[in-house]
Amino acid sequence: MGWEETQVRGYDEFMRTAQRYHGRPIFALFCGDKDAEGRSWCPDCVTAEPVVRKELHNLPDESVFIYCLVGDRAYWKDPNNEFRRNLKLTGVPTLLKYGTPQKLVEEECFKAELVRMLFTED
Amino acid sequence: SVQAHKEDKPQKPMEVNGLTPAPHSYDYDLIVIGGGSGGLAAAKEAAKYEKKVMVVDFVKPTPQGNSWGLGGTCVNVGCIPKKLMHQAALLGQALQDSRKFGWQFTEEVKHNWMTMTESVQNYIGSLNWGYRVALRDNKVTYENAYGEFVGPHTIKATNKRGVEKLYTAERFLIATGERPRYLGIPGDKEYCISSDDLFSLPYCPGKTLVVGASYVALECAGFLAGLGLDVTVMVRSILLRGFDQDMANKIGEYMKEHGVNFIREFVPTKVEQLEEGTPGRLKVTAKSTTGDRIIEGEYNTVLLAIGRDPCTRKIGLDKVGVNINEKTGKIPVSDEEQTNVPYIYAVGDILQDKLELTPVAIQAGRLLVRRLYAGATTKCDYVNVPTTVFTPLEYGACGYSEETAVEKFGEENIEVYHSHFWPLEWTVPSRDNNKCYAKIICNIQDNERVIGFHVLGPNAGEVTQGFAAAIKCGMTKEQLDNTIGIHPVCAEVCT
Repeated sequence: MGWEETQVRGYDEFMRTAQRYHGRPIFALFCGDKDAEGRSWCPDCVTAEPVVRKELHNLPDESVFIYCLVGDRAYWKDPNNEFRRNLKLTGVPTLLKYGTPQKLVEEECFKAELVRMLFTED
Repeated sequence: SVQAHKEDKPQKPMEVNGLTPAPHSYDYDLIVIGGGSGGLAAAKEAAKYEKKVMVVDFVKPTPQGNSWGLGGTCVNVGCIPKKLMHQAALLGQALQDSRKFGWQFTEEVKHNWMTMTESVQNYIGSLNWGYRVALRDNKVTYENAYGEFVGPHTIKATNKRGVEKLYTAERFLIATGERPRYLGIPGDKEYCISSDDLFSLPYCPGKTLVVGASYVALECAGFLAGLGLDVTVMVRSILLRGFDQDMANKIGEYMKEHGVNFIREFVPTKVEQLEEGTPGRLKVTAKSTTGDRIIEGEYNTVLLAIGRDPCTRKIGLDKVGVNINEKTGKIPVSDEEQTNVPYIYAVGDILQDKLELTPVAIQAGRLLVRRLYAGATTKCDYVNVPTTVFTPLEYGACGYSEETAVEKFGEENIEVYHSHFWPLEWTVPSRDNNKCYAKIICNIQDNERVIGFHVLGPNAGEVTQGFAAAIKCGMTKEQLDNTIGIHPVCAEVCT
């Protein structure tokens, strides 16, 4: 079985989804919300998303890719939002391997080589 | 046969130490064997000069089956976890002190080993990952593989699945570091652990016997006792060989007075398992070094910290003719870190007669690379390197020990200034008023230049760093006296 993608919005939905897939490798990309035209308020997320998507085929079998919209700009700027507090996110976009210290933040997500390394790293 | 990754354009013949060899097309400009403090610093520096660099790093699992990621000893099983666990122990003490400063809490304060260890390992994991990203970002090729020489300019890299690849390079840097030594007695590898296992131990070690008197032994014994465990240190002869013995004895006395048991002048002869478990129960039999007396003791964990041996015996050095000290395994190098083979260099703990410290390896690695690729001439200065031992009472030092100064300059030519001090923070909670201590050793014949600095007290590392810079500038006693102290801090005792 290859890998699968699921899309969520907000902290609660993210945590429920991550728990549901417990036991499988989970990768998550956190981005700012998108408007009606599908554009995110976060310009770095707009740059990173296609780079990340292009590398998804490198995901190990059985893994789950969670695409998570964190909220609007105001929510994200709040230093106490749940993503910052509980998941220790410091910026968007963040691409991480859930349950490990492995993550790429902001401009690191623009680099296909680093994304590939995150997905294929032992 | 050599799998060369052929370049499209042939490389120019490079001048190597005055010899112009026949044109070669090597896979890499530099291959670094060992991804620790020295190796990674050198690799990243070389990449800055647009050199094609590869790092091969591999950790052979401990007898207990333990292994770790990229970064070497310091990051994974040395300085970093050690200092964090030392801090955990200090915080325990601080909690006790806090009551005298007005903090009220009724619960008994207990320590959870797993919580601490998981946090520490998580941080280490982020460092391992950070190194992976840094190498990749700097276009340094990294292979998690065991590197060994198989012929001139060629190594074989074997990964954990046993797949072998050959790589060639114009130059090599050996930075393979060391691993803990075992006793060579029955039961040592089966039942004992080392510092390689301690910092990720998935259960609380319980009642622990630490064998050894190195700073590793004393630092580990110190924080284990600080976390509330029953700790005994078995010492063959003296404490902290190579360090100022006056200071070493003060460290030992302090530990003894603060709950660490010492068994002096004994060595273990066998370790047997009484009960399996996490932890289990072990029986240790030991013999006196001064007579026939035999003793036995029961412990949950036995931690061996009797020394570290260089990883130089099984990396094919004989295939390329690199000389090592057969007895110690260390590699003698010139003051430019070059081995007897001109294209092979070495840095870090494996070097003969050099300090085994992370910052030394990093500095040596960086300067070496700058000399090789950036036309620099600065050599690593191994003199007056400061260091700190993170025992419960911390010890910072820079320069000569008192006994080495006496030996080199003569007792009549050195002046020792010393003083006990009582940190202000210790007054209110009624902690020891006569244990913290500082001493300065001066060379009378050279304007009373400060040639040795020793301080025993809290934050010894922070205190020592600044004085190390002053010593490097050639500070004299008069200059020190003319420096006004900061009040109220421990360091002012020196001014």
